[in-house]
Amino acid sequence: MRDAVALDLGGLSWSIGDTQILAVGELQLMAGERLVIFGPNGAGKSTLLRLVAGLIGQRSAPDASYLPQRPYMFRGSGRRNLLLGLRPEETNRAEVLAKRLGVSNVLGTPAGQLSGGERQRLALARSLASLRPIVLLDEPLAAIDARDRDAVVAVIGDAIGQRAAVVVTHDKDVAVAFADRVAVMVQGRVRQVGPPQHVFLEPGTAEVAAVVGHHNVLVGTVVRSEPPLVQVSCGGLMVWALGEQAAGSEVRVVFGADAVTLHSVVTGPADGGVDSARNHWLGAVTAISEVGRLIEVIVDVGQPVAAMITAGSMAGMGIQLDDKMALSLKATAARAVTAAKQ
Amino acid sequence: MEFLGEVLGEAIRYVADFGPELREILALTLVVAGVATLIGVALGVPIGVWLGLTRFRGRGLMLAIVNTGMGIPPVLAGLLLLVLLWNDGVLGSWEALFTPGAMIAAQALLALPIAAGVSAGAVRNLSGDAREQLAALDVSHVKRGWIAGREAWPGVAAAVAAAFGRVIAEVGAVLIVGGNIEGETRVLTTAIVQEARQSNLGAALGLGIVLLLVALVVNVALTWAQLRGEARA
Repeated sequence: MRDAVALDLGGLSWSIGDTQILAVGELQLMAGERLVIFGPNGAGKSTLLRLVAGLIGQRSAPDASYLPQRPYMFRGSGRRNLLLGLRPEETNRAEVLAKRLGVSNVLGTPAGQLSGGERQRLALARSLASLRPIVLLDEPLAAIDARDRDAVVAVIGDAIGQRAAVVVTHDKDVAVAFADRVAVMVQGRVRQVGPPQHVFLEPGTAEVAAVVGHHNVLVGTVVRSEPPLVQVSCGGLMVWALGEQAAGSEVRVVFGADAVTLHSVVTGPADGGVDSARNHWLGAVTAISEVGRLIEVIVDVGQPVAAMITAGSMAGMGIQLDDKMALSLKATAARAVTAAKQ
Repeated sequence: MEFLGEVLGEAIRYVADFGPELREILALTLVVAGVATLIGVALGVPIGVWLGLTRFRGRGLMLAIVNTGMGIPPVLAGLLLLVLLWNDGVLGSWEALFTPGAMIAAQALLALPIAAGVSAGAVRNLSGDAREQLAALDVSHVKRGWIAGREAWPGVAAAVAAAFGRVIAEVGAVLIVGGNIEGETRVLTTAIVQEARQSNLGAALGLGIVLLLVALVVNVALTWAQLRGEARA
């Protein structure tokens, strides 16, 4: 079933007057897939999700639950809003989700007195309680405090389960947490689609790079938890990163290519380390490319890791393909993001 | 000044006496206007919510018709019904002319477009976020309309108040289809016309005071309900 198409987003478009502000080429949501629409504010992400949901445009609405970007609470209690439009078999699920999202204590409160975060959580509980086969979420973590994010991501991931989902976000960590695939949207067009490890590390164009930056995304499992740090095994490569996940948690480690320092093996602090960085890796240069006025060097340290350096450093160190290099990365420059799919 | 004082004194005595004639007129007024408002609101508010919520071809035309209906002169509505209910008219066999039933029908005809127009405006004024959330809910069209109407409650209450205000104050329609028959189809407004015409200014003014009091009581009740709805939002 993994190859079945759950929803075809291809060909969707939207115009204001004679101006086409959004057009999607070929893009499909596969069964069981979590597709993240990522892009800056004003890129047309919410408009795309509204088109997908059938709220605007000519396509009929799919059998999907939809969380708007700014969830609205109707007159009445939190509970009335929580259960609005849910089927009898979904109400129990809604109560459980409200509890997991920490809003079961506000169900008796008039909706007008709820805080932004409480509204967001109630609306999340309602749309996730729906058992419809497709889940559409617009900025699901918008009004959620940073410290609660991992927990809320986990609840959302569980509730989506094996269903197909489209998640819209402008937040890199949210994208990395949810995405099987990321579709980068810039100015009403989908510019690149691929797994987050690929899209964030190797943006296909300068336009996409300006939006996503150059980020290493490594998939792994926490092997040691020493808050505020965790040690993550990413396909054999051990990485220390900021995080508080328990050992055994599936996480994605995100760090910018510009946070990675390169050292010549002869001069630098080789494996073992004499500087303050917690991560030291050894590997061979597999690719060198110009990115604007900087140079991106890919070093295979068991996983390909990108480092961004200036042309001056490049020339000074005389880096060549296949050179042996030592890499260092401060643990505080890397974040372990809980993967929504455990 | 002396004359005014005299008339005012008479009016107050007329109201204070609260005689059988006044009681009868007041009761019929409340029944006719109340039932007409209920019918107009029961039909008009759902139409208004529907017009405010959905987009379809011809919606603009329907809104224009409703808005025109809001301003239709009562005598014209009465005349239309008169033609229909006339002995040889389409509905002549109903023999409803010059009965409270005909008066209720005429006033309901006046109340309906007001209830529809004002509630359509209230629903159209719901925020974009509210409308999007409404559209995204997995509910039937009827339930969606119900939620929208409830959300726009202060506006819908205003629609009820406006409809009642129109029918209680109008004289043209009830005069034409009711005939202002003493003890049968005489209501506050037609009685005022009658008394004024016969130079019984005290009684006419007394009836006017009662009319104002009725409007005041109903509007106080509706305003209270409106404010309560706002507080709960």
